[in-house]
Amino acid sequence: MSKRLSVTLLTAPAMILLLGVFILPMLMMLLLSFQDENQAFSLHNYSLFIQDPYYLEILWRTIRVSLWTVLVSLLLGFPVAMYMAQATGKMRGIVTMLILAPHLISVVIRNFGWVVVLGEKGWINETLISLGLIDQPLRLLYNELGIVIGLTDSFVAYMVLAIATSLYAIDPSLNKAASILGASRVRTFFSVTLPLCLPGIIAGTTLVFSLSMSAFVTPALMGGTSVKVLPVIAYEQIMATLNWPLGAALAFLLLGSTILLVTLYTKLIETKRYKEVFAS
Amino acid sequence: MKKINVLGLITFFVLVLVNLPFLVIIPSSFTAAGYLAFPPEGFSWQWYEMILDRPEFIDSLWISLKLATVTAILATFLGTLAAFALSKYKFRGSGIINALMLSPLTVPSLIIGISALLFFTRIGIAGTFTGLLLAHMLISIPYVVRLVLTGLSSFDYTLEKAGYMLGAHPFRVFWDITLPLLRPAIVSGMIFSFLTSFDNVTVSLFLVAPDTTTLPLAIFTYMQETLDPLVASISSVVILLSLVFIVLLEKVYGLERLFGLNSQSH
Repeated sequence: MSKRLSVTLLTAPAMILLLGVFILPMLMMLLLSFQDENQAFSLHNYSLFIQDPYYLEILWRTIRVSLWTVLVSLLLGFPVAMYMAQATGKMRGIVTMLILAPHLISVVIRNFGWVVVLGEKGWINETLISLGLIDQPLRLLYNELGIVIGLTDSFVAYMVLAIATSLYAIDPSLNKAASILGASRVRTFFSVTLPLCLPGIIAGTTLVFSLSMSAFVTPALMGGTSVKVLPVIAYEQIMATLNWPLGAALAFLLLGSTILLVTLYTKLIETKRYKEVFAS
Repeated sequence: MKKINVLGLITFFVLVLVNLPFLVIIPSSFTAAGYLAFPPEGFSWQWYEMILDRPEFIDSLWISLKLATVTAILATFLGTLAAFALSKYKFRGSGIINALMLSPLTVPSLIIGISALLFFTRIGIAGTFTGLLLAHMLISIPYVVRLVLTGLSSFDYTLEKAGYMLGAHPFRVFWDITLPLLRPAIVSGMIFSFLTSFDNVTVSLFLVAPDTTTLPLAIFTYMQETLDPLVASISSVVILLSLVFIVLLEKVYGLERLFGLNSQSH
């Protein structure tokens, strides 16, 4: 068999699936997003979004919730990554297993667990009330806080893993060298460890941000009916209102704004890094 | 030493947090009360017996199992073939094909779901098992390709050569040498595809009809209307099933290596 024939035969089945179920439908969706009521080409769906404060508020909420998720995931995930980098093989394995395994179980089920914990009659509120610390149950669910908690639970592992991978790659003798040269632990952390694991932090934060922006299930279940994010609105436009062109446009606006923000963020960090290089 | 203890403490806290849902769900599924409570009140199997009275959950469990099994087999087959071509041959366009194979990972599930619904409506398979299967295969293939490619990157082709030199038929070489050596990567691809399909919500959401609803979606819909211990007992069943596959994955491949895949499951 010729090489060309082999390659074609081997890749064709998967490629047909990819082109047929993914690339072609995406193009159809893009075209549809430019359709008005009369099925004529127009920018109507996109201009509607930009002019309507309702949609802009939802976009801003989506970004805000995602940024909080990134921040909390970083604050919780960084120490875990540091711990994993310092831990022995067996301990590292156990931590890895315990932090990753939950992420292979459906997000619906994990969210349900959080509803049991955070609800008005949930574990936390009942405990706090019985301890006499609060009179009224705290509102921990069906608001932005609830979404951030759910998203952080969903994505913190990606942050941990991205940072841990970059920490594993740091040569331990660098830390030794720093301490021999008289640097304190804090100084070593800020001058050696942090700059060297910056790629991991960038990878982790951008990944968690992108995932949070497009998350649907958690905001739908833990945000409630009044606190909606862009993916939930896009879903409603398609499945409830049956305004497919607008739903498609909303989904692309979501993707576009995510890509734009991530690009700006990485550019900003890179320029800053180069500045440091030139200054020294 | 003090620094390690602080880190250890935070790590412990985070580990408890990410596992808290399960620590809460499983006990509350055994509650004797008629409402959701944690800690559970009393002990009973009543909420497990209750599942049997809800045909929609039983039906959706079967659909999910069937869907995940067929997805795993077909996605692994298609993905493995493509990975072989990408690894074994240098050809023009291999970079593009490689990027395309992995691209469903980088596009939000929401967009995959909407575009699949659009297309499937037009060709008349929206809401069918076939439609769901095609979409689930699509989101599983990137994992298979990545896993098998990784397996092939450390593959020692001289072993195949040795087989040929000893006069073995190419098929025999493939069956007795290549396949056994790649088994961990292929099996992991299959298990991961199964889990990806079994747990998927966002893509399926757009593609199910009442008679093709998958279990996570049945729970999702039920949860939006009612919150009672029934959700806990059904969830516990799903947790148990998923755990079996997670332990298998850990044994065959190792979870850490797997997540190096930069996976996107939501």
